[in-house]
Amino acid sequence: MIPLTGQDMIYYLAIIAAIGLAVYFLLETSRRPKEPETETKELLKCIKCGYTIEKEYSVGDFIGLVKDKCPKCGSPLKIIAIYDVVKKTPEKTLKPPKQYT
Amino acid sequence: MPEDNWSLILQIFWIIFFIMIFTGANQRIQMKLWSIDIRNKLNMIRRYVEEDKERVSNFMRNLGLRNPELVLKKTLDFFTIEPVTIEPTDIIKRMDHLIRTSDKSFREIVKKALPSLGRYERSLIETGLSIVSAIYMVYKVVRHYLLTGEKENNWILLMQLELLMPQILKIVTAYHKALDAFTTGKPVGDGIGPLIAYRLIEEGEVVSKRVIDETSIYEVKLANRRFFIIKAEGPGSNVGHPGRVLADLVDQLNGNVDLIITIDAALKLEGEDTGEIAEGVGAAIGDPGPEKIAIERAASKYNIPLRALIVKMGLPEAIQTMRKEIYEAGEIAVEYVKKLVDRLTSENSTIIVAGIGNTMGVPL
Repeated sequence: MIPLTGQDMIYYLAIIAAIGLAVYFLLETSRRPKEPETETKELLKCIKCGYTIEKEYSVGDFIGLVKDKCPKCGSPLKIIAIYDVVKKTPEKTLKPPKQYT
Repeated sequence: MPEDNWSLILQIFWIIFFIMIFTGANQRIQMKLWSIDIRNKLNMIRRYVEEDKERVSNFMRNLGLRNPELVLKKTLDFFTIEPVTIEPTDIIKRMDHLIRTSDKSFREIVKKALPSLGRYERSLIETGLSIVSAIYMVYKVVRHYLLTGEKENNWILLMQLELLMPQILKIVTAYHKALDAFTTGKPVGDGIGPLIAYRLIEEGEVVSKRVIDETSIYEVKLANRRFFIIKAEGPGSNVGHPGRVLADLVDQLNGNVDLIITIDAALKLEGEDTGEIAEGVGAAIGDPGPEKIAIERAASKYNIPLRALIVKMGLPEAIQTMRKEIYEAGEIAVEYVKKLVDRLTSENSTIIVAGIGNTMGVPL
């Protein structure tokens, strides 16, 4: 086996650095920011007491539709808005297992 | 490795390099790489077209149409030729006529295919077909330039296309995702103007209501003032003709209007926040011209102050299901309008408020 000279080392390092840079730029340009997942919700408001509640959207619902009853006063609830919200991902907690608490 | 070998490799490298520079082979390699990348992105757009065609076909099939492919074929290639611009006389009148004829013809195709269907469902189909048609048009244009660039070895054309592709893909993806809202009838971001108008109608005491040219006019008593609130007739996918209706209303009132406020969604600049509210002067309406000029002419004819309120958002947010931030901005804008009216007019004044945009999912 022929031992590597200092110049060989420089050439090899230059080639490795060039390949590394090319891969880095390729990954950097192809990486796209991931769009957050959304879900549709509807906001219901009590006609009488003004109590508001956010619920899952059901197909066919529209703004102004009167549906469900107010959990506070029993009056009808009216849909005042339909909108998309970013889906909440379950947070990773670092809580210790139950047996240690 | 012996030093001689390295020097040989380097020499061969430089010879190849110079041959490529002088013969233009490097450009050909670059062109091929661009071409492959554009083709991949074009395939993505083609998949969107196929997927959306299938979704709209299924939507029509579920509503009772046996052969939706015929309607799709007719509407996909539907076009409107722009009016002559080198002779500007009557251009607004001609443009308005062409837009109305185009809308009417498009609607007639759907109406003929599904005569028993209600206006609401038909409006959703029309918008769904318009979305597929728009994506298909982009697909055809990109394909045309790609094939022309390859055929004529036009590297400038390919380079421009390659640089534009991410932006084109972003717009196409936004349209593709918008189809969900338009096939389910959910309010879209652009509907913030009609939503604010709806909220003002709800808060006031309705005196009268009429619908002209697919546009609702509500006379409302609010804050000891006489309000005329204009919005596209909902809850279908409809933008109405708020400009023309507003101009006619001002004429009917003999110009006795103290303030005109137009409210619309506006495209934000990069770096601006979604849901930002801005106040300004002028007609906030994004039509090709006829509606906007009608508002400007009516306001200037009777010297009526013309104010504009915009809610900022990106293109995807404007055509997709309304985001919560936009709805919340709408709530703030309702209060903003009331404060603006309080500041600029006295009691017993007459005010016209026009909520501009697609009223899908917003009733009245």
